[in-house]
Amino acid sequence: MLNRTITRTVYRATTTRSAIAPTYRLFLRAQSTSHGNNHLNKDELPFKFSSTGPKLVKYSKDHEWLAMHNDGTTFIGITDYAAAALGDATYIELPEPNTVVEAGESIGSVESVKSASEVYAPVSGAVLEAHTELESHADYINSDPMGKGWIAKLMINEAANKDYLDELFTLEQYEKFLKSDE
Amino acid sequence: MFKLCRSSKYINKTWRSPLRYVSTKTPFDIDESDDKYKDFNTMYSEMFTPPDERTTTRKDHLSDVSGTSESDDLNKDLQDLFQVDHTPLSGSELQDRVKSTGRFVIRSLSHNPYYNLALEDYLFRNAPVSKEVTNKIYPNHRLLFYINNKCAVIGKNQIIWQELYLPELKRQGYEVLRRLSGGGTVIHDLGNVNYSFITSRNEFHSNFFNELVVKWLLSYDNTLPVTMNKRSDILYDDKKCSGSAFKIAQGKAYHHGTMLVKSQLSKFHGLLKPKDIPGIHWDSASVDSVRSNISNIPLPSTDEFINICSDGFQNDFRGGNTSEIPIYYCDETNSVNDEIVTTMNTLNSDKWRYFSGPKFKVEFKEKNISISCEKGVITDSSIAGLIGKDFKTTLEDKDFFSNKIYNKQF
Repeated sequence: MLNRTITRTVYRATTTRSAIAPTYRLFLRAQSTSHGNNHLNKDELPFKFSSTGPKLVKYSKDHEWLAMHNDGTTFIGITDYAAAALGDATYIELPEPNTVVEAGESIGSVESVKSASEVYAPVSGAVLEAHTELESHADYINSDPMGKGWIAKLMINEAANKDYLDELFTLEQYEKFLKSDE
Repeated sequence: MFKLCRSSKYINKTWRSPLRYVSTKTPFDIDESDDKYKDFNTMYSEMFTPPDERTTTRKDHLSDVSGTSESDDLNKDLQDLFQVDHTPLSGSELQDRVKSTGRFVIRSLSHNPYYNLALEDYLFRNAPVSKEVTNKIYPNHRLLFYINNKCAVIGKNQIIWQELYLPELKRQGYEVLRRLSGGGTVIHDLGNVNYSFITSRNEFHSNFFNELVVKWLLSYDNTLPVTMNKRSDILYDDKKCSGSAFKIAQGKAYHHGTMLVKSQLSKFHGLLKPKDIPGIHWDSASVDSVRSNISNIPLPSTDEFINICSDGFQNDFRGGNTSEIPIYYCDETNSVNDEIVTTMNTLNSDKWRYFSGPKFKVEFKEKNISISCEKGVITDSSIAGLIGKDFKTTLEDKDFFSNKIYNKQF
């Protein structure tokens, strides 16, 4: 009896657009101070770590980016879109170096004016380094989320992560994903 | 009886509804000669009569509170009459409701802050989120209410010793917790309602839910001087009556808010530390608590606030459906599972409470002492031999404290 009630609620609720929807979407845009794109910053370590640049740059639906270099060294951070949506970062919780993380596990969080937002590892690997400069420079998350604002450096095995890497978005797919979301 | 009835959990919207929608001063049209309903009618006419116009019956009713048998009978009658079911969900029912799609309101009948915070986290983590991205409105909004016994709650990324007068809290019997979401430090007591609105990450905006709360409060009484500030706090008469914290994870977000209704605000003094204490300097990236003047919102009871919001939620989130968004009840004894118990244990562990949060350096200027600390362990200090010791135990060593770093305001 109860179950049926719930199911019916869902059906109607999702097929009837209520007045609340446009409001929050507007808000999300209004608070954005985005740089306008989600390209990796070519002047910073996540790109310059190897002379040829990263072998692969990918994006998750939770708005993380990863930049994987030839030797498996992989930088992780949050996208420009995510940083802009969260507002001014006040505290970055970083992962513990020399720990193993599984794809989907939390590797830290970004606390902005008042929200704490989890950051997930899009792939499995070992944490080589946490970007401790963010401890005194949480603002890098906003000023350069895809460069100076990198959060963690992992060592990953590309072959072992093939499924995860394949599932992640390319830049083009990510931008499309953002558009479909608006 | 008046008081007991009005704040009684057995009064629910089933028989409050006519009042909202028909908007008449006497919600019941019941033959007054019928003794069975006399009490209700008296009670209701009093609810809508300003205090100074009330008859003495109110006092008479109040004096009945000690004799519970009559009110128990009444509550039972009420329950039978309106078929109100406040039976808490079992562990498996809870899991089933939480993991299924659909919106609902859920009220915790427990006042244990560890249970309530763990329940909030459980509801949040297990609310379904669709894998594909759609333009549809999140169909699984959840609204949780709970009231905690007296406790102090700090934000996830705060330093407990910087925020709280721990010995005083202990002396007065307050529990101390580190919440799983961000934000600053607050004191809870039985007069404070906690609400938690779960939504999708895409829909999340920090103002969204409190704007609704303000709207609902104003439609309840449009003379209430309630406003919102830039931090999306709700103000009553320009004093903060409601604060918020937010968490985003796994494609979902929750807005956690508090509402001071009947809190004993005078008792909150001396529990939270001021931003600056002379002679003590904190160096860390921790999240600041914003100090505010606070006020209760003068509603008749905490239940009234919960009912106003439940009604509002049921109306505004129904989405054109004719059937009502359900209200569930849960408590610590019945509505538990391993996941909730694990979180309760985490929240109640020293590791989470004291040894989490940002690293910091604290300086006691007068004594020229500095201590650096990471995850609760002293990593550097001007005092030899402290490195490697845990900060909590070091502070709790009375000899050490009074001889070395003594600062009466610490």
